[in-house]
Formats: sequence, C-alpha cells, structure tokens
Amino acid sequence: MALLEIENLTKHFFRLSALSRVSLSVEPGELLGVIGPNGSGKTTLFNCVTGVLRPSDGHVRFRGEDITGLTADTVYRRGIARTFQLIQLFPEMTVLENMLVAAQEKRGTLLSRLLRREEAETTTRALELLEFLGIAGLKESLASNLSYGQQKLLDFGMALMSDPQLILLDEPMAGVNPTMIKNLVGHILELNARGYTFVVIEHNMEVVMSLCRRIVVLSQGERIAEGTPAEIADNPLVLDAYFGR
Amino acid sequence: MADFVQLSVAGVSIGAIYAMAAIGFVLLWQTSNTINFAQGEFVVLPAFAMVLFFVIFRLPFAAAMLATVLVSTLLLGWGVKQLLVTRLLRMGVLPLVIATIGLSLLIRYSLQQFWTPLALPFPAIFSRDPIRLGTIVVSLEEIGNIVFAAVVIGALQLFITRTKLGWAMQAVAQNRTLASVLGINVSRLVTITFMLNAALTAVAAILIAPVYLVKYDIGIGLGLKAFYAAIIGGFNQIRGALLGGLLVGVVETLSAAYISSHFRDAFALVILIAVLLLKPEGIWGVKEEWAS
Repeated sequence: MALLEIENLTKHFFRLSALSRVSLSVEPGELLGVIGPNGSGKTTLFNCVTGVLRPSDGHVRFRGEDITGLTADTVYRRGIARTFQLIQLFPEMTVLENMLVAAQEKRGTLLSRLLRREEAETTTRALELLEFLGIAGLKESLASNLSYGQQKLLDFGMALMSDPQLILLDEPMAGVNPTMIKNLVGHILELNARGYTFVVIEHNMEVVMSLCRRIVVLSQGERIAEGTPAEIADNPLVLDAYFGR
Repeated sequence: MADFVQLSVAGVSIGAIYAMAAIGFVLLWQTSNTINFAQGEFVVLPAFAMVLFFVIFRLPFAAAMLATVLVSTLLLGWGVKQLLVTRLLRMGVLPLVIATIGLSLLIRYSLQQFWTPLALPFPAIFSRDPIRLGTIVVSLEEIGNIVFAAVVIGALQLFITRTKLGWAMQAVAQNRTLASVLGINVSRLVTITFMLNAALTAVAAILIAPVYLVKYDIGIGLGLKAFYAAIIGGFNQIRGALLGGLLVGVVETLSAAYISSHFRDAFALVILIAVLLLKPEGIWGVKEEWAS
C-alpha cells in the first residue's frame, strides 16, 4: 500500500486555480522528487497535504486513512513533517529549545505538559539529531544568531524530531552553498537508507537527479509528467514547461 | 527625600496592578493578535464579582477570591474566546478590535444599568496602618499589593519559561504557522492564553477594588493605562509590560503630588508620546522583524 496517496487534489484561490486534479502516490521508503517552474503549484501541494491550506477538492490519504482537510497540528501528529521554502524557526529560542518544541505535542496529557518541562528521552533524541547534523555545539545559541546554512540544518532537524514517517522538504537547497548542499544531500540519503520516506521539492536539477529515482513534474497546477530522472530529462512536455518552446 | 520614597512606593504599588493588566494585554497580542480594548472592563467585571461574593454573599475572603478568578476565567477567558475570537480571528486584526470595543461598552453599561451607577465601597484587604521605616512611612496595603503582584507575575514567568505549555505559547507567539505544522494546537493555546489573561485581570481587580471604589466606569482609565504601559514597555515582551506598568504608576503618583493632580494622567501620555517618537518598539521591546 502506498504511504501517501493524493487523488485529484485541487486548490482554487478565488478564480485562480493553483492545483488542478493532481494525483500522485508515495511508496514507503521512497525519495520522490517534485519539480516544476515557479508558480506551478508545488508548495500549494505541500500546503494542502499538511493542512496549512484546505484543499478545494480531492483527497489525501496517509497510511490508508483519509486526512483531507485536517488541521496542520493533527496532520503532524499523524506522522507527516515538513520544512518551508523560507526557513521557519522560533527566533528567540535556543537551538535545543527549537528542537524540543518540535517534539512537545506528540504525546502527553495537558497536566504532564504543565508539570514537566521536558522528558529526558526527548532531550536525548534532540541532542542525537543535532550531533548527526553537526550543529550540537550550537545547542545553546539563539536560533536567530545562526548562519543561514546552520538555520537550514536546524529547520531540517526540527522536522525529524517527531520521528515522522513522511518528510516533505520544500526547496532544501535554496540559497545554500555547495559544501552545505553536499552535506544536506548526504544527510537525506543516509536517513532515507534508514527507512525515512521523503518528498522533495527542488530547483537544483543536479541535486534532484542525484537524490531521486522517481520524479513528478508540475506545471501550472497540473501534473504533466512522471518518471525516472532520465525519462524526465528527455520528456518534451517538461522541456516545454521550462523553456516554453 | 522621604516623601519621594513614600510616593514612589505608592506608585509602584498601583503600577504593579497596571502591570498585571498590561501583561495580559501583551500575552493576548502575542499569541492571538488580539488587541483587547475591553481590558479595563476585564478588570471591572471581576471587581463587581468580588463585591458580589465577598460583600453581598459574605463568603470568606479566600473563597470569594477563588470564585472571582474562576468566574472571570470562564466568562472572560473561555467564553470570550469561544464566542468572539474563534469566529473573528480568521478575518484579521481589525474586526476583533472593533468587537472588543463593543464588548467593553456592553460590560460597562450593563453594569451601570443592571447593577448600579454608583460607586461601591470595598473593604481593605490589607491593613492601612502605617509602617515606619526611619523617616519613611508606607502602608501594609502598598507593600501587600506589590508582594501579591510580584508573586503572580513570578508564577506566570515560571509557567511561560519552565513548562511545556508555556513553551508552546512562546512558540505560537514567535511563529504561528511553524508552531501549527509542528503539532501545536494553536486554537487551544489561544484559549489558554485568554483564560490566563482573565485570571490576571481578576487578580488585578481584587487588588484594585479597595484602592479605587468599584464603579462601572473605572475600566476606561484602567484599560488605557494598561495600553500605555504595554506600548511604553514594549508590546512584545512581558518584562516590557511590567516595566511600563510600574513606570505609569510611579509617574502618575509623582506628578499628582509634585505638579498637580489634574495632570496625573497627562504625564503617562507624555511618556507614551516620547516613546513612540524615540523608540517605537518600546523601552524593552524587540523590533518585530520576524513577524509571521
């Protein structure tokens, strides 16, 4: 069974249709790439899946359960985490606190959250992840004082805190220097090898081709192609969408 | 000099009460983008409740206090969040601002119409006997107010910085969208914030009732002072609201004593204008570059 099934997903903003009848599925353990020119609906797709936006029509199923239209916090607790195109952090908290906030609502009653600040195991997990990402030394720094690349890593780390079954990355390489790209690609591949499933929106074709074995192409809100990197590179519809031949 | 110290203590004592209302104001703004123009009435209504429970029903003081905080938390916290905020918040800041102005009028004139347009006396909680420290004379009431407010504000600070729920509140204040995609139920947190605010204003009401008389229209001045205090100290910082509240209290007490009691409200306004001109984010505020 597919981990995530998107069926005829549609989103209108007033009369503008940002997504029209997009369907795709993500298999467990996969690393799926989503590409397309600017404004093709990639981020809207993520927003509709994660409950940031309510889709106008269509269905999203996760592990066989319909999650269409659930609120963002519910979707997260079902096991889908995401990052944003523009880095999103809690600027006035430390790196470690950012990580702990990301974990806090996963379980626990109102009372336990009122009484205890953190569970030891949550902190251990946060520190392990920071270690894995190579920013453990910064755990006490304020998030707003980190460099862009470090913030990107923290953003990524926060998405991993809940041990999600599916991680949606929205342009993880945007604005990142080549060394950091290598670093991030390495982390994604390693996590994927450990069994994490990813969907990655990315403009950097080199990265997409090296990460993903399957790619879905969106253009003007519609799904226009799907295939292996080689198939996509030769697909005339895709070239059309990008270069408007 | 002794005069000055005495007046300052009196100013801090009244300022501590303003600070509680101002802190609630800031909490609401941070987690739910609500500018609550009914904050003054959020103090007045519990003050009337206190009169009801303590003076009319003759409950013991602690029980009356508990009942007042409870009623305020339910009615002005949970009730207002469910009836007004949930419906209006998604339409942006302005409809909610207008709604809180309406709410303040509703509470104010309902109390006038259905209870009394007269000022109700309220017995002192703390003794007003003077305490002499050398040449300085202060009253137990002043010290009591300061200590009480300090304990409440200290407890709130611990809640926000030391508990997971408090962290979630900070998270929502700093980045609402991110908080929700990280599993925080923003709507529930807004409810909790409203209840906290109502508890704060109820405590402020209990402390201020013996100082002012309890009257339907004292909320006008109180609400404005909480608003000044929040702006002067910094709208996005609890410590800012605390500082602003104390400053407004001290300045109005000193200016009433040394200049003229007619001008007591004017000086807080002068500081407000100066802050807006020189440091618009507030003395202790942070520029909101990260607004989401």
